[in-house]
Amino acid sequence: MLEIILKLLEVSFWSGIAAVGFGILFNVPKSAVITIFVLGFGAGFIKFLLMHLNVHVVLGSFLAAFFVGIISLPMAHKIHQPPVVFSIPPVIPMIPGYFAYETILSIMNFIFTEGDVSKRISLIDAIFTNGFTMFFVLISLTVGVSLPMLLLKKNTVKKLDS
Amino acid sequence: MCISFIMNDSSKLIETANLLLDISSLLMVSGANTNRANLSIDRFASVLNCKAYSLISHKTIIMTLTDEETDESCTRVQNIPPYIINFSVISAVSKASWNAISENWTLEQIEAEIERIKLLNRYPRLLVLFAVSLAGAGFCNIFNGDYLNMMVAFISTFMGLFILQQTHKLKYNLYIRLFLGSFIASVTALVGVYFNIGSNPQTALATSILFLVPGVALINSFTDLLDNNILNGMVRFTTGLMTVLAMAIGLFVAMYLFQLN
Repeated sequence: MLEIILKLLEVSFWSGIAAVGFGILFNVPKSAVITIFVLGFGAGFIKFLLMHLNVHVVLGSFLAAFFVGIISLPMAHKIHQPPVVFSIPPVIPMIPGYFAYETILSIMNFIFTEGDVSKRISLIDAIFTNGFTMFFVLISLTVGVSLPMLLLKKNTVKKLDS
Repeated sequence: MCISFIMNDSSKLIETANLLLDISSLLMVSGANTNRANLSIDRFASVLNCKAYSLISHKTIIMTLTDEETDESCTRVQNIPPYIINFSVISAVSKASWNAISENWTLEQIEAEIERIKLLNRYPRLLVLFAVSLAGAGFCNIFNGDYLNMMVAFISTFMGLFILQQTHKLKYNLYIRLFLGSFIASVTALVGVYFNIGSNPQTALATSILFLVPGVALINSFTDLLDNNILNGMVRFTTGLMTVLAMAIGLFVAMYLFQLN
């Protein structure tokens, strides 16, 4: 049990680091860096906890992105930054890169190397499974992160308490 | 009599329109979504007692500005330069718009503030290289890589981003740059696969090109679509797709060279 928790914390830590790395690539203000790390850590923790509990990766990513979207609203209000500044970088580590990689690899094998018919069919299965998982994770991330703002029907966080 | 005192109303209006166009193109370039650009224009226009109506596309902004007192109007068009994401600018413009409203800034004050924002420094190149490479290593950990794999991912990301920045200096086409960045990063990671470094060398390969992922373009594309800015949303989605395609081809060619199955 302890081992699992430690592993979870390690992965969440690296999610936070990845979020900060992208934050710096996007030139975020210095005052937002710590918030981005915390949000990245939290999002990673939620996603991998849910996946450990056998929740599907699409739903897990959605809930983690939703968490980022919700927390970034009061934070934006508090440290006077627009929410995009720290709602986008924490979501980037959850982008389904591995599924994209598997899709490309399967397409490549399918077109250039594999001749055996039964293996070609399993490659088609791999292309569709990984490709559409990637697509749905992408949608769930973007919708999840922008949904809190849309639900509040506000254009700006400044007027949240009025 | 000093000439600046006889500046008439219409030239003042043109100056205001140019400033507002400058602000919105600055926001678009820095990676704000269309809604935010429109919002900022409205805020600044209300401070300057004007009403702005604008058509924002991916490469051009058309704006008609009407003075609320005299009912005069003028229309101006501005081209948007290539996109370079910069969240500090978005944040600073947002702050400036709130201060302008609460302190009722004049045209000159807003102009001075925008000029200051344009000169804001980016993070030093080496820090960006290091931070993004660390992010690449982090990705590798997330996808079950061990610390040796993370080292490979770190080096590959570093190489890829370095190439991306160098080719930017040489003014290459964006998609050629993305292809080269992805190609160099995956070749570096494939060396790791070839010598079987770490427990899971494939992970390092898969994560080495993730620094190119068009996250901002894709997220902005969906928020634009949800805000009913359908055209801009589609444009951003297409740019994202082109980026993914360039990345995939880079990886593809590298893997083909190494005959990896």
